[in-house]
Amino acid sequence: MPGSPSHTLDLAAMIAATMLPLASCLVILIAARSRPRLCAALSIGSATIALVCSIALMALNSKMGAPIQFTTDFIASSGLNIGFGFLLDRLNLLMIVVVSSICFLVQVYSLGYMAGDSGFSRYYGFMSLFTWAMMSLSLSASLLQLYFFWELVGLSSYLLIGFWYEKFSATQAGKKAFIMTRAGDTAFFIGILVLFLHTGDLSIANLGSRAPLAHLSPSFLTLCALLIFGGIVGKSAQFPLLTWLPDAMEGPTPVSALLHSATMVAAGVYLFARLFPFFSLSAVAMSVFLAIGTISMLLASTMAMVSRDIKKVWAYSTISQLGFMIMALAAGGYFAGIFHLTTHAGFKALLFLCSGVFIHHFETNDVYELSRRGARRMLIPMVSMVLGAAALSGIPPLSGYFSKEAVMGSLAGLADPVWLAAGLTGVFLTAYYTFRLIFILLFPRKSEVSSAPSHESAPHTAPAMALPLIILATVTAVLGFFETPLKHFLENGMIPGIVTGVRVGAWPHMAALALALAGVALAWTEFGRKGAEQIGFIDRIPVLYRLFSERWYIDRFYALLVDLVVDRGLSRLCNLNDRKVIDGGIEGVCGATVESGKVTAVLQTGMVQYRLIVIFAVLALLSLYYYY
Amino acid sequence: MIAPFSHVLIVAGILFALGAFCAVVRRNLIMIVLGIEIMLNAASIVFVAASLHLNNLDGQSFVLFILAVAATEVSVGLAIIVYAFRRTGSFDPRNFNLLR
Repeated sequence: MPGSPSHTLDLAAMIAATMLPLASCLVILIAARSRPRLCAALSIGSATIALVCSIALMALNSKMGAPIQFTTDFIASSGLNIGFGFLLDRLNLLMIVVVSSICFLVQVYSLGYMAGDSGFSRYYGFMSLFTWAMMSLSLSASLLQLYFFWELVGLSSYLLIGFWYEKFSATQAGKKAFIMTRAGDTAFFIGILVLFLHTGDLSIANLGSRAPLAHLSPSFLTLCALLIFGGIVGKSAQFPLLTWLPDAMEGPTPVSALLHSATMVAAGVYLFARLFPFFSLSAVAMSVFLAIGTISMLLASTMAMVSRDIKKVWAYSTISQLGFMIMALAAGGYFAGIFHLTTHAGFKALLFLCSGVFIHHFETNDVYELSRRGARRMLIPMVSMVLGAAALSGIPPLSGYFSKEAVMGSLAGLADPVWLAAGLTGVFLTAYYTFRLIFILLFPRKSEVSSAPSHESAPHTAPAMALPLIILATVTAVLGFFETPLKHFLENGMIPGIVTGVRVGAWPHMAALALALAGVALAWTEFGRKGAEQIGFIDRIPVLYRLFSERWYIDRFYALLVDLVVDRGLSRLCNLNDRKVIDGGIEGVCGATVESGKVTAVLQTGMVQYRLIVIFAVLALLSLYYYY
Repeated sequence: MIAPFSHVLIVAGILFALGAFCAVVRRNLIMIVLGIEIMLNAASIVFVAASLHLNNLDGQSFVLFILAVAATEVSVGLAIIVYAFRRTGSFDPRNFNLLR
C-alpha cells in the first residue's frame, strides 16, 4: 500500500506524532532533568508536533476510503506472523486528535499547576511517556502491539498517580491502580493468546473484517470477547474493578484530567470501539457488557452523590460516564459510544482542570471548604466549571447533551426497556450529583461565610492555567453541533452490516432532557435555593449514605477477599509448606543423619578385640560361602 | 610321614582356633600377642605337613621366614606393650581406645 506521495506523508506524520514524545521522554529522563524549563519546552514541543501531525492527518484523510496500513513483521515464524506498524482509519484519526489535543492542553496547564514542584522535570518526562504510549496505542496495527502500549499506558499512569511518592497514600494509590488494571490485563492477554492460537492472526484490520472469525464457534467467540473485555473492565474502571479510579485522585490534578478524559480510561472504550465488529459477533458477550456498563454507571453515580471531595466526585462521574459509553457500544451504538467518548474527553478534562485551579489555590479538596473560602469568586474557572458541569449533565446546547442523546437513542433501540430505564436513571443521577457540587460551590452557607476571613480581591488565575480552560470550554460549548459531520465521518468508514442504533421516536430524548432538568431542579431545592440546608436526600437516610460513601463496600469486600484468600489462604499455605514440608524435610534428613550416626557410633568402641572377632566372623562366613 | 596328613590338619586347625580364642577373649595385651603367635605356629605346622605330603621343600623354607617374622613381631609387640604398661599401668585392651 505505501508508495503514493500522500501515503508517505501519512507515514511520516504518524512516525513524528508517535516517536517525538518518546524521544522527548528519553531526553528528559536521561539528560535534561536538571533543567526544568528545557524539559517542559521539550515535552510541550513534542506534544504540539503530535497535535499538528494529528490534525494534518485528519485533514489529509478526511475523505479516506479503506484504512491505511503500514506494517512490518514483528514476529515471523512458520505459520505464525504478527505484524507491527501503523493502522490508520477513521476511528483512530478521531482518537489521535482527541488524545493529542488533551495531552497538549494538559501539559500547558501543568506549567502553571506544577510550577515550583521539585519533580517538575520528572513530571514532564512521564507526561511525554504517557503521550507516546497513548498515541501509539491508538495507531497500533496488531492486537499484540496494542497490548504493549496498553501496558505502557498502565505503567505511565502508575508513575503519575504515585508521582508524589513521599506521600504514602499516593504510592498506595499508584500500586492499587497498577495491580487492579493488571488483573484485567491478564484476562486480556489470555484472550489475545486464545484468539491467536485459533485464528493465527492478530491484525486489527483483519479482526475488523470478520472474515477469519467466521468459522469459529459462537461459544468460543464469546469466551474470547469476554476475556478481552476483562482488559477493558480493568482499564476503564468498570464493575467489578472500579475502585482504583477514585484512589487515583492522589496524583496531581492535571494527571487526573489526562487520565480521566483522553488517555488511560479512554483506552478501554477505544479498544471496545476498535474491536467493535469482533465483539458484535457474540450477542451473549454484548449483553454481558451492557450489564457491566449499566452496573458501573449506576454504582458510580450513587457514590458521587455523597462525596465531599471535589476530585472524587468527578472521578466517580468518570466511571459512570464510561459506563454510559460501554452501554452505548454494547447496545450497538458505535457512533454514540465514540461520540460520547469524544465529548466526555473535552468536558471531563475541563472539569478536572477547573478543580485543579481551585485545589491549587486553596489547597484543599473539600467542596464545602472550597465554597466557604470563596471559590466562586474565581471567575474563569467557575464559569468554565459550570459549563463543563452542564455538559456533563446533558443540558442543551452543550456537547454532552448531544452525545448523551445519542447514547439514549442507541439504548432505546434495544428490545428490553430495562436498559433505557437504567440509562435515564443515570442521566437523572448525573445531573443531580453534578449540580449538587456546583450549587455547593456557588452558594456557600451564610453562617460559615461570615465566620470565614474574607478575601480582599478575587483570586487570580495563572494564564497558563486559564488558557486551556478557555479553549476546552469553547470546545465543550460547540462540539455538539458537529454531531452530524462526525457521525457521517465515522460511519462511512464502517464495515457494512453492523448495527448502528435503530431509529426511534423522540420520546427518549425528551425524557432524558426532562430528567436531567429534574436532577438539576432537585439539586437546586436541596443545595441551591436561599435557605437550603445543603443536605442531600441521601444524607437523610443513614443506611444509604453509609453504603454510598463506603463505595458499596466493594473495597471492603476486596480487602476481605484478599485477607481470606491471600493472607489466610494462600500465604498461610505457603508458610505451612515452607515450615512443614521444606524446613521439615531438611530437618528430617539432618536429624536422620545425626541419629543414624549415633546408632552406628555405638559399634565403634575402639576395642581391638571386637574388631578381631568381626574379622574372624567375616572370614568364617566368607569361607562357608565359597565352599558351599 | 607316620601320621596321616588329615590328622595333622585337624591338630593345626584346633591349635589355630585356640590361638584365635585366646586373642579374642583374653583381656590382656600379652595374651593377645601370645594368641597370635599360636595362630602363626598352627600355620607353620600346616606348611611343614604339606611340604612332607607333597614332597616339596618350599613349605619348610617358608616356615623359617614365619619364625623370623614371629620373633621380630614378638620383640616389637612386647616393646610396645611394655611402653603402654608404663604409660597406663594396665594391660587391659579396653583402656586403649583413644582412636575411637
